[in-house]
Amino acid sequence: MMTILRPILGLSSLVLAWALAVWLFNVPNYISPGPLGVAKAFSNNFGALVKNLVPTMEAAVGGFLIGNFAAICIATVFVHWTRVREIYLPVAVFFNTIPIIALAPVLILIFGLGITSKIMVSAIVCFFPMLVNMIRGFESVSSSELELMRVMSASRREVFFKLRLPRSVPFLFAALRISATASVIGAIVAEWIGAELGLGVLIIQTTFDYRTELLYAAIATSSLLALCMFTIVVVAETFIVRWRTS
Amino acid sequence: MSAIRVSGVDVAFTTASGPIQALSDIAIDIAEGQFCVLIGPSGCGKSTFLRVIADLQAPDRGEVQVFSGNAAEARRARRISFVFQEATLLPWRSVIDNVRLPLQVGNWKSVGRPHRDPNELVQLVGLGGRESALPHQLSGGQRQRVAIARALVTRPDVLLMDEPFGALDEITRERLNDEMLKIWQETGTTIVFVTHSLSEAAFLGQSVAVMAAHPGRMSKIVNLDGEKPAGAIDRSSSRFFDITSDLRRHLETAEGMAMT
Ligand SMILES: Nc1ncnc2c1ncn2[C@@H]1O[C@H](COP(=O)(O)OP(=O)(O)OP(=O)(O)O)[C@@H](O)[C@H]1O
Ligand SMILES: [Mg+2]
Repeated sequence: MMTILRPILGLSSLVLAWALAVWLFNVPNYISPGPLGVAKAFSNNFGALVKNLVPTMEAAVGGFLIGNFAAICIATVFVHWTRVREIYLPVAVFFNTIPIIALAPVLILIFGLGITSKIMVSAIVCFFPMLVNMIRGFESVSSSELELMRVMSASRREVFFKLRLPRSVPFLFAALRISATASVIGAIVAEWIGAELGLGVLIIQTTFDYRTELLYAAIATSSLLALCMFTIVVVAETFIVRWRTS
Repeated sequence: MSAIRVSGVDVAFTTASGPIQALSDIAIDIAEGQFCVLIGPSGCGKSTFLRVIADLQAPDRGEVQVFSGNAAEARRARRISFVFQEATLLPWRSVIDNVRLPLQVGNWKSVGRPHRDPNELVQLVGLGGRESALPHQLSGGQRQRVAIARALVTRPDVLLMDEPFGALDEITRERLNDEMLKIWQETGTTIVFVTHSLSEAAFLGQSVAVMAAHPGRMSKIVNLDGEKPAGAIDRSSSRFFDITSDLRRHLETAEGMAMT
C-alpha cells in the first residue's frame, strides 16, 4: 500500500507547489493556469477530450502491437540466420538514427492523413527497442544450457521454444515498458504533422489559440493514456514472470 | 563388455596465445556398469574428455566408442546423460517439469525406451514434496539433486558428471556422495565422474583415472575394485585413508610430470 501512497504524495506535493507558484507570482492564465483551472477545463471539455483520445489510443495501441510483433519476428529470424542478421541489423541501426519527427512527414506522404500513417509512426518507435532487446534475450542462454539441449539431441525448434523464448521474456517486458510510453509519443508526433482529430491535434490547436487550460488537460490525458499502457505491461509481467535467475 | 572405449584421442584448441593441446593420445576402456572417477590438475582436459564422450566436442584424431556405436550415435539414441557443475535448471520450470524436460525434447518418443517415473525420481533424490518449487527457491545442493534426477529420467547407459558437487560444502557433498553410490548400485549405470576432491574420488571410484596436464593425457589408472569389495567404504577407516594418500601420490606424480 505504501508503495502506491508514496508516489502519490510526491505528485501531490508538486501540484501544490505549482498552485503556489502560479498564485504567488500572479502568472497570467494564458501562460500557465493553476491546477484548479486545469481540472475545471478537464471536466468542462470531457467530451472533446475523449473524442480526441480515441484516435490517439487506436494509433498508439495499433502501433504498439504491430511494431512489437514485427520486431519479435525479425529478432527470431536474426537469431536463426546469422548471415541475414549481419546484412540487415546494421541497416536497422542506421534507420534508428533518423529522428522520428523527420520520418513522420515521409510516412504521411506515403500513407495519407488517416490512421495508417499514425500507426506506422507509432510502430516504428516501438520496433527498435524491441528488436535489440529480443536479440539480446534470445542470446542470453548460457553455453551449458545449450550443451544440455544438445546432449538431449534437441532440434533448433525445441531450443528456440523451450529455451531461448522463455529466457527472453524478461527482455521482452523491458522493451514493452519502453514501447508502452513510446507508442503514445509516436502517435502524438504523427498527429502534429497532420491529422484531423487526436490529442496531438488538440495540443497544437490549443497552443496556438492560447487555450492553455485545455492544452494542459490534453497533456494530462495523453500522459494518462501512456500510464495506462505502462501499468498493463507491469501487471502482466508480475503475472507471467514468476521465476528469477539465481 | 566395455561401455566406453577411447583410443588415440587428440583435441587441440586454437587460442589467441597459440594452440593448446587439451588432450593428447588419450586411451581408456571403461567397463559397463563401472563407476570411473577422473582426477587431475586444473586445465588438464577432464571436462574436454567428458565433452568428447558426450559428442559435445569432436576429437581431432582418434576413436570414441560408446557401446556399439560412436559418440554421436549414442547421443542421438539418448544413451548419454550429462550433469554439469552448475545445475543448469531452467528457472521458469518447476522441479518436476525440469525432471520431465528430457522426455519432452529431442527424439525421445522415437527412441522407444521406457523412462523412469519423474515423481519417483524426485522422491529418490530426497525432494519429495518440493515438486512444484521453482529453482530459485532451492538451495545449491537441492538444485544439483534435481539435475541428477533429470539426468536419470531417461535411464541412461552412460552418466557423465563434471564436478557436480564442486560448489557444495563438505557435509552436503558427503551426503550426496552416499546417495550417488546408492543410485549407482540401484541403476547399474556406467558413470564417469570428474572431481577435484581426493576423498570424493576415493569414496566413489571403482577405478580412478589420474590425468596429467600440458598436454592433457592419462597418467595412471588405479583400480579400487579389490579395495572396496562392497562398493561403499567407511570414510573414517584406515583403508580409506590409505586409498586417499595413494591417490594423492599419483596426483603429485602427474603434476610433477607437467612441470618437466
Ligand atoms: N573452448 C575452448 N577454447 C579454447 N581453449 C579451451 C576451450 N576449452 C578448454 N580449453 C583449454 O583446454 C584445456 C583443458 O580444459 P578443460 O576445461 O578440459 O580442463 P579441466 O581439466 O576440466 O579443468 P578444471 O579442472 O579447471 O575444470 C585448458 O587449458 C583450457 O584452457
Ligand atoms: Mg573442468
